[in-house]
Amino acid sequence: MALRETNPNFMNGVPELLILSLLGEQEMYGYEIVQAIRQRTAAVIAVGEGVVYPVLHGLEGDGALKSRRKTINGRGRIYYSVTPRGARRLADLSQNWTNLTTAIQNILIGGQNAQAVS
Amino acid sequence: MPKQFHELRERLLNAGVAPRHVQRYLKELADHLADLRAEEVRAGRGRAEAESAALDRLGSIDDLSKAMIEQRQFQSWCARAPWAAFGLAPLLFLAAAYFIACFILWSGWKIFLPRADTPFGTPIPIYSFQNIYFQIGRFIYFTSPVLIGWLIGLVAARQRLSMAWPTLSLVLIAWMGGTAQIQASRTAVAGGFGHISMNFFRLGSSGQNVSEDIFHALIILTVALLPHMIWRLRHHYARST
Repeated sequence: MALRETNPNFMNGVPELLILSLLGEQEMYGYEIVQAIRQRTAAVIAVGEGVVYPVLHGLEGDGALKSRRKTINGRGRIYYSVTPRGARRLADLSQNWTNLTTAIQNILIGGQNAQAVS
Repeated sequence: MPKQFHELRERLLNAGVAPRHVQRYLKELADHLADLRAEEVRAGRGRAEAESAALDRLGSIDDLSKAMIEQRQFQSWCARAPWAAFGLAPLLFLAAAYFIACFILWSGWKIFLPRADTPFGTPIPIYSFQNIYFQIGRFIYFTSPVLIGWLIGLVAARQRLSMAWPTLSLVLIAWMGGTAQIQASRTAVAGGFGHISMNFFRLGSSGQNVSEDIFHALIILTVALLPHMIWRLRHHYARST
């Protein structure tokens, strides 16, 4: 997912994590996914909304997602949901992310303490 | 489809993204854009303003194309391995078509002309169904180089490829088709069982045969290339206007 406002270097793997996490709760189509990300992150993560689709197609190509077409109010939608392989990938990504944020948090807390002591 | 999507489609195809991935991407983007536009209208914006805001939220053409092009798995085989798509595959298709034509000739010879020394120019009369059977083989034999050439042109047009690989492919097909020769003989084989063989890529032994082979190859090349050239001219004209 290319980012317009959020620093892309810090976002490697994050779009996948967010998408798998959201789709782990319920099946959604692209627009719903982007709106859910926007709402739940309070628009901290801002993306060019269209670039969610290459990520979705890539995850589907890897077998992490499956899609099906549904017609709602006369409009065809492609709904995505997580496969068992996607669930395993989500667990791995979540673990990695937790380790990373814990490590960064430790450094930040250490830095603050060091500043307070001096 | 908004005008921006036409540019996006051309960029993606030119970058080697497979047409089916491009088509699906553009379809989903168009649906997403419609949702964004409706959301902006509900928020009280005018029609033109809503359209502009929706396009802005969807992302720039640069971002949208980059996100797709960066994923190698969306690349078509023509972009990943053009030597296979335009070198090997057409020759294999043509060889398969010739094999089918030879099989029809051989089986027709065995079934309908069991006493003839050759299935070509036999004095034994052949009737409607038998004639149709042989004509099917003949049709496959003569039209397959051109049909495969048209298929190459179609693939090249769909994927917005430069002329280099398709031209090389068409030259190979024309050369193989122009020099293809089929021989059938029963008396040459001990036991009298019919024998059919084919030669490719070898020019005739006499000067007249060489010129006939070259002429035949040029005819195939011209007929196979013509629809693609017309498409290129039309596409070029449409883009420039």
